[in-house]
Amino acid sequence: MSFHPQMEYAPAKFHKSARTLAEQGPAFAYTPENQARFDENVAHYPPDQRKSAVLYALYLAQSQQGYLTASAMSHVAQQIGCSAAEVEDVVSYYTMFFTKPVGTYVLNVCRTLSCALLGAERVTEEISAALNIKPGETDPTGTFTLIEVECLGACDRAPVVMVNDDWHERLGPDQVREFIENVRTRGAAAFTGCHLHKEVKA
Amino acid sequence: METVTLTIDGRPIAVPKGRTVLQAAIEAGISVPYYCYHPGISIDGSCRVCIVKIDKMPKLQTSCSTVCTDGMVVHTQAPDVVEARAGVFEFLLVNHPLDCPVCDKGGECPLQDFSYTFGPAESRMDFPRRVFDGEGVKADVDFGPTLMLNRNRCILCTRCVRFMKEIDGDAQIGIVDRGHGSEIATFQEQGVHSLLSGNLMDVCPVGAILTRDYRFKSRPWDNPAVVDTVCTFCSKGCNTSAWLKGKPEWAKGSRLIRMTPRYNPDVNGYWMCDIGRFNYHWIEGDQRLRRPMLRNGAALEPSAWHDVQSRLRDRLQAAGTTGTSAVQFLVSAHASVEEFFVLKQLLDGVLGNDGMAATTVTWTSSEKPQPDGAKLKVSKANAPNINGARDLGFHVGAGNEGAPDLSRLRAAVENGQVKAVYVIDPGPDGSLGDVSWLIAARQNGTLPLLVVQGVLMTELAAAADIVLAGAAYVEKDAMYVNDQGRLQAASLAVAPPGEALDDWRILVNLGRSLGLTLPYDSAEDVRRTLAAAMPGTPYAEADRQVFTRPVPARNWLQASNPSERWKWDFLYQDLPPVKGHSVQMEGIPAPIAVIPLKPVG
Amino acid sequence: MAYEPILTSQIDQPGSSTLDFYVQRRRGYEGLRKALTLQPNDLIEQVKASGLRGRGGAGFPTGLKWQFVLKDTPKPKYICCNADESEPGTFKDHVLMERNPHLLIEGCAISCYAIGAKVAYIYIRGEFYHVQQILEAEIEKAYKAGFLGKNILGTGFDCDVFVHRGAGAYEAGEETALIESLEGKRAQPRIKPPFPAVAGLYQCPTAVNNVETLCNVPLIVLNGPEWFSAIGPEKNGGPKLFCISGHVKKPGVYEAPMSTTLRELVYDYAGGMLDDRPFKAIIPGGSSVPLLLPDQLDTPASFDGVQKAGSLLGSAGLIVLNDTVCMVWLAMNLLHFYRHESCGKCTPCREGTNWLSQLLERIESGEGRPKDLDLLFGVSNNIVGKTLCAFGDAAATPVLSTMKLFRAEYEAHVREGRCTLPAEWRAKHPVFAGH
Repeated sequence: MSFHPQMEYAPAKFHKSARTLAEQGPAFAYTPENQARFDENVAHYPPDQRKSAVLYALYLAQSQQGYLTASAMSHVAQQIGCSAAEVEDVVSYYTMFFTKPVGTYVLNVCRTLSCALLGAERVTEEISAALNIKPGETDPTGTFTLIEVECLGACDRAPVVMVNDDWHERLGPDQVREFIENVRTRGAAAFTGCHLHKEVKA
Repeated sequence: METVTLTIDGRPIAVPKGRTVLQAAIEAGISVPYYCYHPGISIDGSCRVCIVKIDKMPKLQTSCSTVCTDGMVVHTQAPDVVEARAGVFEFLLVNHPLDCPVCDKGGECPLQDFSYTFGPAESRMDFPRRVFDGEGVKADVDFGPTLMLNRNRCILCTRCVRFMKEIDGDAQIGIVDRGHGSEIATFQEQGVHSLLSGNLMDVCPVGAILTRDYRFKSRPWDNPAVVDTVCTFCSKGCNTSAWLKGKPEWAKGSRLIRMTPRYNPDVNGYWMCDIGRFNYHWIEGDQRLRRPMLRNGAALEPSAWHDVQSRLRDRLQAAGTTGTSAVQFLVSAHASVEEFFVLKQLLDGVLGNDGMAATTVTWTSSEKPQPDGAKLKVSKANAPNINGARDLGFHVGAGNEGAPDLSRLRAAVENGQVKAVYVIDPGPDGSLGDVSWLIAARQNGTLPLLVVQGVLMTELAAAADIVLAGAAYVEKDAMYVNDQGRLQAASLAVAPPGEALDDWRILVNLGRSLGLTLPYDSAEDVRRTLAAAMPGTPYAEADRQVFTRPVPARNWLQASNPSERWKWDFLYQDLPPVKGHSVQMEGIPAPIAVIPLKPVG
Repeated sequence: MAYEPILTSQIDQPGSSTLDFYVQRRRGYEGLRKALTLQPNDLIEQVKASGLRGRGGAGFPTGLKWQFVLKDTPKPKYICCNADESEPGTFKDHVLMERNPHLLIEGCAISCYAIGAKVAYIYIRGEFYHVQQILEAEIEKAYKAGFLGKNILGTGFDCDVFVHRGAGAYEAGEETALIESLEGKRAQPRIKPPFPAVAGLYQCPTAVNNVETLCNVPLIVLNGPEWFSAIGPEKNGGPKLFCISGHVKKPGVYEAPMSTTLRELVYDYAGGMLDDRPFKAIIPGGSSVPLLLPDQLDTPASFDGVQKAGSLLGSAGLIVLNDTVCMVWLAMNLLHFYRHESCGKCTPCREGTNWLSQLLERIESGEGRPKDLDLLFGVSNNIVGKTLCAFGDAAATPVLSTMKLFRAEYEAHVREGRCTLPAEWRAKHPVFAGH
């Protein structure tokens, strides 16, 4: 679209931003199952408020692809009927969306006060040492991503680690290496899950 | 209108019900700083600098979000307000680069101005500043085809975000990240692609959003004059201000330095489109006609007006002797009301009843893609005065949307029935639509005489026998009737270059040379006669239209952020504009249809 | 400790989350049945008479909040249940939703009836996915049993309850930010007024209530307001959940009346100090409230009691600190939290939390200067009262409170150029990322 005859209205020629962008990724569309899920969820809201479903829509895209690419965000924008910038705005605001690939197990270590009082800082250090990665990084095998997160709301079972959508509670610093090995060998079965749940059942 | 009365700093103030405390303070000339508030977009309440103390309220309140109630008692200068406000200013500046000397906004920057007045003397911040895309000018990054963005300067007032969402209708700007890492951004750094993008520079209260067109080109103190005018690129007629750079006439570069919107609630609000904003370079460009010209063989030669006029008279008379329809006029709807009026008298005098039939009014029409929700819709018709031509009796068809049909004129020209075509076009190149057939007809001899009265050496002008140098819209006082039927005055900002003449005068001179009595010595004469000739219509007000002269901006006050003009008119009058100077506004004519300047007390 | 838990009764029983258990063992949905025979206004009057105060943190009377919900409007009305439970030290709603979800569902339905809403959204934080799954499964059962959906219990009352999953934002717990998040935007607070009761979700009248608050509603309807207000001290009636974490032997959620003292909660309910180390201080209401000292332990853990002692009950998240806790480190830990969770909308909070965090890291890392202490005070005071929502005050509180009570520790850090109270449970190689 050129509406300005005198000024260059063409690819920009000055400076590129240093902002880290989500990768474009391959063309993205929901699977039929996810499309059905989205359609079901968006019906929870008034017809003129489809934007309310944006977090759900993003979770779906993330579950389908592991992380959110620019293509996925555009697809969500199209599904919702808003601009892609509004979707990127939301993605960047919330901590539970990833715009780059993450490991099979995302170890979200709670670092806030109650967990820290019982050694959460040491837990992070131990995981870092065991996997040789810093918080925010993924180990070379793509198995683990370490993230420090703020209070997870399980302060009585500190230190707590959220692993993907599951939980592992009361992870002392001295249990970290064993825990990592357990996850490697047993997968999700190594997680304690929600203690509360299990303790009550027992 | 229902009013409420409140007290601000001891002064009783009556305002219409529903006004916020900030609006009341601004209208009363009481200084309250603000950034996130903009009268044209929704209230955000996020910048926090407009905090005031209101009796019976426990905490300091943001005046932008507090609606006035009867009996409210507001303090803007209480010690706790002054201290709290200074604290917010300290926060605003902890990451601001303070690169005012190289920032385009420097000198007309609300952050700069308000910080001097309300901010702390110095900052206690001693950590490194947050840097987004680089230091210094490296921080200026692409923000779409018309804009650049400097995130280091951004104070996250989110006016741009709200502008895109609410006025443009396509929320292309969002915020990414959160907390102290927040930055404004477009999706994947694609930039802003909008017909209204230039307004983002106006709404930005700091030097974060810059137009590529104006960036590094001038400084506020280099722009000593500003003229209230009206845009003529479409039939909307946005009210605008033309900014003039102070320079000697012989110096390189143009005098017109930028166009900005001028508030008119009935036409364009606070906004204008990018066409009107950026498409002004042709006016002082290389193609500009500066002198009349006569064809001598293959070449057009600059000539003196008296030679041109006598040649014009002779050739038109020669063409006209073979029949009244032998001379045809093709007139762009960029012609002003005055020009159409004089033309009509000329036609009546020379061609009698056939005059109107011998005239074709033309313009172009184009789709301007805009989102459905856009609050400022740009018209399709690319000419300012279709309604004016219609009102004066010219044949322009029923609607203004589609371009007119020139096929009848074309057929007559191509059949050799027409001996002369007289073109009047004060608009930019292309305003007439496709005239390649006219050029071809002249070149192959089918058309014996082509006269072009215009402003640019277009292909058409290059094919003409006689070229008359007219005046573009910012080079004359002229009136246009927009698509609402509103008669608007566009003022002269820069004089026509060289020997170019105001278009009505060229027509009057032609008429007189053909023996008519056209008793006009000035554009005012034309308007007076027009007003008398059309009583009971909006044109009866023609002689009372106010044309402003360039406002001499002797200090930054008059050369400040244009979108905030209404604010300076009200708000800054009690502030010393530059430490130690005083505002001199005497003798400045009050423009019509803008908020009038108030005398400084 | 003769008190019998009500909200959390039988939560240790197998199957306590199920509909059958709820109906058979907890008089489930009898409150709803009774409520639907009353006029909505009478319901609001009952809740007002009970003196129920919001359990989310502010302690605002719930009945009043409902009364403020605009009645005279053609717009739909909404209940938003705040299940974003993100205040550090708070984990009570988690228990209710996981072990007694139908109490919340019933509370949502009654609340909708009371204010004239047809839809309740339960905004649950994204990290509680396992809780959400339980909740959603039980909601589905409630639909099937006719306690939700169309024509509930044959009364013609329609009510939908939907779970809305957040995605990681503390600020979403602020009621207007929660509404913004529900609308699919970034969780940033709105300027008030208008309050949600007038223009909330989708600009419609809305009541935003905490999980525990709504869980109390069926009990009030069933047992009467007098029964409710008789539990605990005057104006602080009803059962209350206390979340106790930190350096105690038995951290967890405990239900007690608000006449219970902090000492009883720490030493009786939570089993006393971990490893029997000395008690240093307690944060009584989630991380956003001032600390209390050992001599204030006999304060009753009520809204008014804790406030009288100079702090706030807030969300009743009690974080117990022993003598190994460095108060500069504590403030630094919490300001890291606030810096990370600041939404960035308003200036003082966006810039101030970062600045405070940088200053605290500098002092804790031993590079602090004497003037930094004044600066901490100055910056904190420039935040307090100037922000769009209560987050700013919350963020400044840990700094102001620890500086007031433990200034000597700050001075020692600056004087000695090191942390004077390093604990072995802290990082061996701390990374100071903020500056």
